Amino acid sequence: MRKWQLLIAVIFLIAALFVPLFGFTDYTLQILFRVFLFAALGLAWNLVGGYTGQLSLGHAAYFGVGAYGLALFSKLGISAWSSVLLGVGLAVICAAMIGKVSFRLRGPYFALCTIAFAEVLRLVAKNLPNVTGGDVGVQVPLLFPHSTIRGFYWSGVLLTGFALALSAWIERSRFGYYLMAIREDQDTALSVGVNAARCKLWALLISAAITGLGGALYASMFLFIVPDQVLAMDISTEIAIVAMLGGAGTLIGPLVGSVVLESAAEIFKNIFKEAHLLIYGVLIVVVVLFMPEGIVGTISSKLAWFKKAPSAPFAAPVPATAEEEAQRVALNK
Amino acid sequence: MLNWFYIPLQGIINGLLTGALYALIGMGMALIFGVMRIVNFAHGAFLMIGMYATYLLFQATGMSPYYQFPLAGVLLFFVGYATYMGLLRPIRGQVDFMVILLTMGLALILTDAAQLAFGADYHQINIPLLSKNIHIGPQISINAPWLVSFGIAVVLACALYWVVTQTMFGRAARAIAQNPYAAPLMGINVNRVQAIAFGIGSAAAGISGALLLPVFYLFPEVGNQFKLKSFVMVVLGGMGSIQGAAIAGLVLGVVESLTSLYWGNEWALAVDFVLFILVLSLKPSGIFGSQRA
Repeated sequence: MRKWQLLIAVIFLIAALFVPLFGFTDYTLQILFRVFLFAALGLAWNLVGGYTGQLSLGHAAYFGVGAYGLALFSKLGISAWSSVLLGVGLAVICAAMIGKVSFRLRGPYFALCTIAFAEVLRLVAKNLPNVTGGDVGVQVPLLFPHSTIRGFYWSGVLLTGFALALSAWIERSRFGYYLMAIREDQDTALSVGVNAARCKLWALLISAAITGLGGALYASMFLFIVPDQVLAMDISTEIAIVAMLGGAGTLIGPLVGSVVLESAAEIFKNIFKEAHLLIYGVLIVVVVLFMPEGIVGTISSKLAWFKKAPSAPFAAPVPATAEEEAQRVALNK
Repeated sequence: MLNWFYIPLQGIINGLLTGALYALIGMGMALIFGVMRIVNFAHGAFLMIGMYATYLLFQATGMSPYYQFPLAGVLLFFVGYATYMGLLRPIRGQVDFMVILLTMGLALILTDAAQLAFGADYHQINIPLLSKNIHIGPQISINAPWLVSFGIAVVLACALYWVVTQTMFGRAARAIAQNPYAAPLMGINVNRVQAIAFGIGSAAAGISGALLLPVFYLFPEVGNQFKLKSFVMVVLGGMGSIQGAAIAGLVLGVVESLTSLYWGNEWALAVDFVLFILVLSLKPSGIFGSQRA
C-alpha cells in the first residue's frame, strides 16, 4: 500500500515537472504553484501534526518569518538566495524558542500556545513600521528574474518532492517511530526511553525549515508582503487543513489534500467571491464527521479489507508421527 | 492637576467597563471547556451571530439592544444546543484535535455565510444613549452605554455563577468536569448536560454580542478578536473555572486599557498574548485555577 502511494506520488510529481512545457497560462501556473506550495507546507506540518500528533495552529509564524527574512535581509544588501537561507535559519531559531515553551503543554493548551506565538509575531510585525514596514508592507526581491512563473512553479514542485522524500525517509527511520510512539501515547513512549521533548523539537525544527522556505517562495512571488497576509492565522489553518483533509500521519495525504482543497477553493472563488473560505469550512466539517482519518487515511483503511490476509495465527495441528503416537500411548498406559 | 492620578484611574474604569463584557464572553467559553474539555473556536462566530441578529431586529423595530439582548441569548442557546446535538455529539470520543478542527470549520462557515448574506461592510447603530456621558468629579467621565452594558454583564455573570454553583444542572456539569467517566454512573445524562452547557455558553457569547453592538462596529469577522481574547481568559482563569474566567476578563480589560493608554491601541492585543504565553509557560494551571494542565 505504502509503496503504491509513494509510486503514484513520484509519478505525479515527475509529470508535474513537465507541465510548464505545454504552454499553460501564467494564471494557471500560479494556481498550480499554490497547490504544490501548500502540499509542501502540509507535508512539513504533517511531521509535527500528523506523525507526532501535536496540533500546531501556528505554522504561519515560520512561514511569515521565512517571508520577512527574505524581504528584510535583502533590504540590508544581502543577495536574494543568501537572504532565503538566513530567513530559513531565523524560522528555525523561532521554532526552537516556540517549541521549547509550547511542547511542555499538551492537547488544546499546545494548540492555543502556538496560535498565541504566531499572533504575537503578526502584531509585532504590524506595530514596528520602522523595521518591517508595518501595514504598508515591504518589498520582496524576485528569486527567479528570468523565467518568473515557471521558476516558482518548478521550485514549488521540487520543494514538495523534497518534503515527500524527507517524510518517506523519516516515516521509516527510528526517529519517525519515536514520533509515532509519542503520538500514540507520550507517557508510554517516555517510559521506554524515548526522549519526547527532543524528538518533538527536532520534528518542529525540520518542519519550520521547510515552512520558512515555502514562505520565502510565496513572498517572492507576490513581490510585496504585509503582516496580515503572511503571518495571518488563515495561513496556519490552511496548512493544517490541507494535511488533515488528505490524512494527517499518512505519507501522501497532504499532497492529495492540497490538490483537492486548492482546486476546490479556486473553483468556488468564482462562485462565492470573497466568501470562498466557506468551502474550507464545509470540507472540514464533512471530513471530520465522515472521514476522520482524512481522504488517504480513510481510503487506505477501507482498501486494507482486501489485502491478502496474513497466514493463520495458530498453525494447524500437524498429524502425529508414528513414533510420537507410540510415546503417547506409552504415557497414557 | 492630579493628572497622574486621574488619567490612569480613567483608564482603569474604562478597562473594567470593557472587562465585564469580556468576562461574560470568557465565562461562556470556560463553561464549555469545563464540561467538555473542548476549545470552541466557533465562540467568536456565535458572538457575531448575536450581533447580527440584534442589528437586524434593531433595524426592523428600532428597539434598543439593551432591551432585546435576551432574544439574542435565546437564539444562540438553540444554535449552541443544535451544534452540540448535530455536530459535536457524533464525534465524541474522537481525539480533541478533531473537535478543534470541527469548530474551526463551523466558524469559517458561519463567518463566510454572514459575509455572503450581509456583505463585508461595517455597520454601526445609533441610539440616543450613546451621546450621554456621566461625569464624576472634574476629570472622570463614563459613557452611559458602557455603564449599562457593564451592569447587565455583571448581573448575568452572577446569574451564571449561581446556576453553575447552586442548581442541579450546575452540580451535574461540575461532576462531568471533575470526572467524565464516573458522572454517567451517578445517573447524570451526560449528553443532555453537555448540550445545555454548550447552549448556555453560546448564549453568553450571543448576549455579549448584543451588548457590544451599540459601542462597537459590526462586520462578519468581528468575532475573531473576541474568540482569541476568550482563549486568553480561559487560560488565565484556569481552564474550565468560570469564576477564574470572569476575573481574568476584568484583568484583561484593565491591562488592555492601560496598554492602549501608555503604548497605543495597537499593542493591546499583543500584550494579551504575551500575558497568555507567560501564564501558559510559568503557571499552566492559570492564575486563579487549581487544576493541573
